[in-house]
Amino acid sequence: MNILWIIPGVAVNAGLVLLVAPLCEGVLRKVTAVVQSRRGPPLCQPYFDLLKLLAKEDLESGEAPVVQRAAAYLSLATVVTVAGLVPMGLGIPMNGVGDVILLIYLLTFCGICTLLAGLAAGSTYSIIGISREMMTMIALEPLFAIALLIGVLHTQSFRLDAVLKGSVYSADGFPWSGVIMVGVMLLSFQAFVQRVPFDTSEAETELMEGPLMEYSGPKLALFKYAQMARLVIHSALFVALFVPWGSAFVFPVGWLLFWAKVGVLVLLVTLVAATHARYRIDQALHYFAGLLLVALAALVLAAYGY
Amino acid sequence: MISPEKAVVAAILLCFAGAVLTLGIARLKTLAGWLAFAVTAATAGLIFAAVGRVLVAGPSPEPATFWAMPAIGFALRVHVDGLTAIFLLLAALVALPASLYSIAYMKHYGDYGVARYYPYFLLFLAAMYGLVSTTDMMWFFFIFWQMMTLTGYALIRFEKRKPENIRAANKYLMMMQIACAATMIGAELLAGAGTPANGGAALKYDFGTVSANLPLLLRARPGMTALAFGLFLVGFGIKMGMWPFGQVWLPDAHPAAPSPVSAMLSGVMIKTGVYGLLRYFLWLVPPVAQGDYPVRSWGLVVVLLGTLSLFTGTMQALSQEQTKRLLAFHSIGQIGYILLGTGVCMVMLPARGPDAAALATLGLFGALFHTLNHGLFKGLLFLNAGSMLHATGTQDLNKMGGLLKFMPLTAATTLVASFSISGVPLFNGFASKWCIYVAAVQGSRTAGYLAPCAVVAILTSALTLASFIKFFGVSFLSRRSPLVTAQAARRGKLDVDWRMQTPQVFLAALCLLLGLVPAIAFRFMQQAMNASRHGLGAVFADAAPALNPPWTGLRALEGRALFVPGALAAVVLVAFLGARALSRLGGARRRAVAPWLCGYVRESACHHYVAHHFYGEIKRCFRWLGGAPQRPRTGSKKT
Repeated sequence: MNILWIIPGVAVNAGLVLLVAPLCEGVLRKVTAVVQSRRGPPLCQPYFDLLKLLAKEDLESGEAPVVQRAAAYLSLATVVTVAGLVPMGLGIPMNGVGDVILLIYLLTFCGICTLLAGLAAGSTYSIIGISREMMTMIALEPLFAIALLIGVLHTQSFRLDAVLKGSVYSADGFPWSGVIMVGVMLLSFQAFVQRVPFDTSEAETELMEGPLMEYSGPKLALFKYAQMARLVIHSALFVALFVPWGSAFVFPVGWLLFWAKVGVLVLLVTLVAATHARYRIDQALHYFAGLLLVALAALVLAAYGY
Repeated sequence: MISPEKAVVAAILLCFAGAVLTLGIARLKTLAGWLAFAVTAATAGLIFAAVGRVLVAGPSPEPATFWAMPAIGFALRVHVDGLTAIFLLLAALVALPASLYSIAYMKHYGDYGVARYYPYFLLFLAAMYGLVSTTDMMWFFFIFWQMMTLTGYALIRFEKRKPENIRAANKYLMMMQIACAATMIGAELLAGAGTPANGGAALKYDFGTVSANLPLLLRARPGMTALAFGLFLVGFGIKMGMWPFGQVWLPDAHPAAPSPVSAMLSGVMIKTGVYGLLRYFLWLVPPVAQGDYPVRSWGLVVVLLGTLSLFTGTMQALSQEQTKRLLAFHSIGQIGYILLGTGVCMVMLPARGPDAAALATLGLFGALFHTLNHGLFKGLLFLNAGSMLHATGTQDLNKMGGLLKFMPLTAATTLVASFSISGVPLFNGFASKWCIYVAAVQGSRTAGYLAPCAVVAILTSALTLASFIKFFGVSFLSRRSPLVTAQAARRGKLDVDWRMQTPQVFLAALCLLLGLVPAIAFRFMQQAMNASRHGLGAVFADAAPALNPPWTGLRALEGRALFVPGALAAVVLVAFLGARALSRLGGARRRAVAPWLCGYVRESACHHYVAHHFYGEIKRCFRWLGGAPQRPRTGSKKT
């Protein structure tokens, strides 16, 4: 792909994500409300929230406002960049920029910006949240890495367009490693998108938003926007990696099907979130450790061609 | 233009002269410091010239002999080939900032004189130049090794009034002597059993002679050669801080030394172990002997030791609360990455298959690149820790906080180094880890155990990030601690002066440069491999990844793995500016306010969440790994 097309391509992908993300959040809130027998806000409420936050006063309570600002900008910027590395129903604009390993690292880096922001704010609650969030990330990063590396082992290629095409299944059927990995990823998906029961780092009832507690106004809008976008990006990644069927149809059909699958995944996340209670951090870590062992076994199977 | 060998010997002699001179004027601390810097800069100039010449014009055909006593096989033969050039360059690149940094740093030691600092520093440097360029496996190896060990010992116990420093230095000395003995016994086993081929007894211990005898020896006495190589692995493993040896000496020795010396110890000295490992295991064995040389099994051992080192070292680092001790444990962890790359290279070397040679080269490049990167960012981190120590008078992370406002430049360089060591994309650590991961994952088609090792390495990378988020966060961000407030009130300004800032900026700039244009390092390593075609090392020159213009980034496996930092940087920059513009759309005004603590209590020092409390759940799970510090003497007990 021509190098000049990268930035417009990323803009298209990121634009799509940023456009859809608040809607997904709206769906999430509405469905949660319905499940809990409430009426819930209108579907468009997250758009209004973001707009309102952008105009609100920007309170800075930390001792390092420069870092706070940079972290806020960077958190949205990394999400936008990651959007360019993931197929949003079409091609991957940054296919020629990096491979699977870059994707693994950038996904982790998305979270780091929030951590820096919380540290710069310096409130005790934020830092407790950071400590928890980092521990969750330590446990989650290898899970995602294993899912992608299984794809790499099956396709013998690190390229994103080769791996993000249902590569956990090989061409001639369903190898054990891929099937196990689908299960593992489904069981840990809530954590990747930071929703109940794994939102221990924000835990409104005990930590009051954790890392973001000192933020308001435009910075909070950016962090919130990035978080909404992460739900969409992770869902898209999941669909691209594990539910590839139908994406090969001609443009509007395959594309619509892709987004339909993303929508179903968002609904699933919502239902799980609305019906579960939050885990304590140590319970969550034990849960992830168990999944990690299973995933490692799947990786070994993949390395030996199963 | 002098030959590279002469340049290296001249650099060593210059260091000797410098040592004598600085000893003479040691009363004048600043002048002695500038003199030591001038000498280091001159030797660095000589080294750069030698390295440049080797890379451009190729190495000299034969090692140069400077001094020989044929009766006992005693000969100072020096040869600068590509492999040596890489380590020479690393030594010069780290020594240069470290010596400049020393000038101002050594002043804060008050009544400790510099007569026991600069001379040793220069001899230490000379020994490292010598150790990586001599071809003598016995006498001069011993001489340079001891020179490095003893001067290192003196530098570690520089603050001799603290008993823990003496203990650390003694431990270091003992471990290095064991390593020396192991390596020399190994050399004797290889050299003593063979019949001197061409050079007679005079060159009994020369690389050339041993290498020529090795095919016969490998076939005739496989058990004994295996023992010899095992001893090399132990010897160099101790030196480089490999698990389980590293945990014995390294975390005590690094924090005890003055910070610029810690930078040299961690950045360069432990890398001589990596050099030894590569030189003895790969470059010493001629290709004809490959059938009898179980390189794949050695590779398995190195991969496993590397994986253990990187996981245990980093996991133990996670629970550290002293700046330099934390960094020292990370040295073990990062050495693990280097070992993993080397091990992948050794596993893939004898494999058949289209990509085997390319993967072996990629693994080796990853290891060498990481060696270079680790020298830069760990050197930088130790200098940062030194600046923090200089400003606050403590190494205790629990007592720091909010330093960013007082030392912004140090904070910026620390952030660069922290991101580099954690392998954040666009920083140099990512590029080298990328090579290692690609080689290990792709290599698992040949050896299935490589894939889990790669995942452990990726997991460890997240652990490293966690550790450095803590390191950077609790010292520079967070809230101003009482100690920092007190120091700032007492001293007016906390930031270090320009002689300490320049080295930090220099190293941070190198980290950024290699992160944004890693192809420079690739081109350098490829030239270096071209210039060291002997033994099994000859494979790497031909199988090196295809070279592109530097701005097109890294490619491996015919483009099936790629990384273009330039384009990534452009995308991130545009996105960053976009996000900034978006945040200003609403015209929101900024206002600085007091932090909010649920509205009913004012924040005070006892509410601070200090380094000790971080990652409690993970630390508890891995307490059995050991290395945990004692409970902090002060600081809040609340959770």
